[in-house]
Amino acid sequence: MTTTAPAASTATVVTGRPGARVRHATGERRETAAAWGFLTPFMIAFVLFLVWPLLHGLYLSFTDQSLTGAGGGFVGFANYAEALGDPVMWRSLGNTVWFTILSTVPLVLLALVMALLVHRGLPAQWLWRLSFFMPYLLASTVISQIWVWIFNPQIGAANRVLAWFGLEPLAWLQSPDTNMYAIVIATVWWTVGFNFLLYLAALQNIPAQQYEAAAIDGAGPWRQLWSITLPQLGQVTVLIVILQMLASLKLFDQAYQMLGGVASDTTRSIVQYIYEAGFVGYRFGYSSAISYVFFAIIVIIGVVQAFAMRRRGEQS
Amino acid sequence: MTPTAPVSRRQFLSLAGMLAGTAALAACSGSPIAGQTARPLQFWHLLSGADGVTMSGLIDTANAAQTAYGVHPTVLSWGEPYYTKLAMAAAGGRAPDLSVMHASRVVGYAPGGLLDPWDVQRLADLGVDEASFPAAVWEKGFVGDDLYSVALDAHPFILMFNTEICERAGVLDSDGRLRAVSSPEDFLELARAVAGESEGHGLSYGYLGDGAQMWRLFYTLYTQHGSEIELPEGGTAEMDDDVALTALTFMQQLLDGEIAARENDYQSAIAEFATGRSGLFLTGVWELRSMQQADLPLDATLIPTLFGTPSVYADSHAFTLPHQSSPNPETRDLVYRFVADILKGSFDWAGAGHIPAYLPVTEAPAYADLLPQAHYAEAAEYVRYDPPAWFTGSGSRFQAEFGSAVQNVLLGGDDPVAAITRFRSRLDTQLRTPNPANPQGGAS
Repeated sequence: MTTTAPAASTATVVTGRPGARVRHATGERRETAAAWGFLTPFMIAFVLFLVWPLLHGLYLSFTDQSLTGAGGGFVGFANYAEALGDPVMWRSLGNTVWFTILSTVPLVLLALVMALLVHRGLPAQWLWRLSFFMPYLLASTVISQIWVWIFNPQIGAANRVLAWFGLEPLAWLQSPDTNMYAIVIATVWWTVGFNFLLYLAALQNIPAQQYEAAAIDGAGPWRQLWSITLPQLGQVTVLIVILQMLASLKLFDQAYQMLGGVASDTTRSIVQYIYEAGFVGYRFGYSSAISYVFFAIIVIIGVVQAFAMRRRGEQS
Repeated sequence: MTPTAPVSRRQFLSLAGMLAGTAALAACSGSPIAGQTARPLQFWHLLSGADGVTMSGLIDTANAAQTAYGVHPTVLSWGEPYYTKLAMAAAGGRAPDLSVMHASRVVGYAPGGLLDPWDVQRLADLGVDEASFPAAVWEKGFVGDDLYSVALDAHPFILMFNTEICERAGVLDSDGRLRAVSSPEDFLELARAVAGESEGHGLSYGYLGDGAQMWRLFYTLYTQHGSEIELPEGGTAEMDDDVALTALTFMQQLLDGEIAARENDYQSAIAEFATGRSGLFLTGVWELRSMQQADLPLDATLIPTLFGTPSVYADSHAFTLPHQSSPNPETRDLVYRFVADILKGSFDWAGAGHIPAYLPVTEAPAYADLLPQAHYAEAAEYVRYDPPAWFTGSGSRFQAEFGSAVQNVLLGGDDPVAAITRFRSRLDTQLRTPNPANPQGGAS
């Protein structure tokens, strides 16, 4: 196989004429200037909308700043101490982790099954792709309303389905025994399409020759699935799991809307509690402190995940 | 051959530019009817649906009756979104000239300097004074010695009933009004009789996922014992646990699947009563217009006094002056005029079901003919607002917390004692937290 050296590197090697290095240096400076030109708008936005709010939020977490402008005095670690001793914060965090577990598993497995079914050549593939992915395009307000109707205890479809099986009706969204599951069901329906699409793309990247070779060797569909397809989906699965966990940890809008803004002990997520502390209770300082506690937990999860992945990479 | 364009691109652009310029100038000139003298007043309120339509009518009438001001209402979604926006606008000192708040929320705003007090004398000059309001409603406007809100209405929790179903059940008296009952047992018996004649349940009461609905009925029953909940700042909640237990247990008894559905949310309860499948409906007066539009044989009354003391949970839509750093005196004076004009013209507000707070309206003969509003008008004498604290009031987290603490008692038959302990603990946590709008405490 031959490769062609890039023109620029040829220019740096083939010199000998006086002034060539100077011209090269000038070109490099131009390139650097152009790079900064392209980067600057992003950097400004990055600093203005990410770095500055992060630092300002950190500062606020050490004050008793109110949303209404009152207060603002430095209170040291008082907000953090209060957050760590606040049972509602821990409960919200527990709910968030529980939701992440409950939602991530079906969102990965269902997406895989759906992608495999479609990839295996169901008739009218476009229809399946469209219907699996379509809910993902809807706004959270729309899906919330749809599922509020479905879960309505008197007229909703969910209780009709239970009735077919001779089961008692449930107050899906209102009962603390079921409301988390109701939100998980709605979320899975809403977002599974994105993971499905990632899996489908990964499946389409597996060379057909491998299946052909396996078929010649006498491997049946199940053997091909276990020995070719699933091992080659390993990397995309790791990606999907990470993306899914991050998305699930940010649970807020659909739960908030499906419960009509009601603070339920069993569904209040940490993001909702941050919102409640800041925008309902007006306690910006305290709200910022909880945000940073949550931030620290996400960083810890991220670091653990990175270590686990590195070890896995080394082993493989 | 190149065809010749009838209008060149340059000509077209020039023409379009001229047209746009003319349109812009025309827009700037304004309507000649609006008048050059009318001073615009910015007015935020949270009234939507039938209430919103009625309020628009009141504003249009007030605007048309004079040329000094022109009110421009901004309607925001009620509850948290409204109160957060209002607080932030007032904190910045550039709030609208006038706003509507629930009277029960004022105590969380006034000490933090988010509201400006009303000049009682100026209001009196315009015919709006203590004598022209029910005592409880007028007093609710005060925080300390200053008047911070002027009530437009009282909107209590009431009992609507379907006269046909109730007549069949034999629970109407000779005047066609609901038979008087004075004990919980009597009411349960009456409701069972109605249930016997109803296609659905005897009583519609939607509460699932709705802390406000649970609180409205609970506090009506609680205060009928002659007790109120006190929430002293920095202290602990003063609540009679026995009374709370009685009230909650009675609510549990109502939701037995026969008298009222165990699993009913607000919308389902409305639908049940509006379609004639139940004979009784526990709801707020604000649902009256939509029930009338459902063309039901309808009447309404106060929630019967079952525990000795006439009392009913209520709140008031009240006019407030969100804080402005440097209010224009002329604009503010016109705000006073507008509020006085609306109060005096609030007969139409009664059409939406609310009880106008301005007594000359409810004492007028025309109001006595307005049915069924006149049948519950005396509720204004017995109103009980949320216990005053910075975190209580309509649409507040307090009501949501109450619902969260007790819902499973109503839904799943959980132990009411544990629910009351849970609610008390939440109240005490809130009481330990200083008012974030006024962390230093005291009046600002």
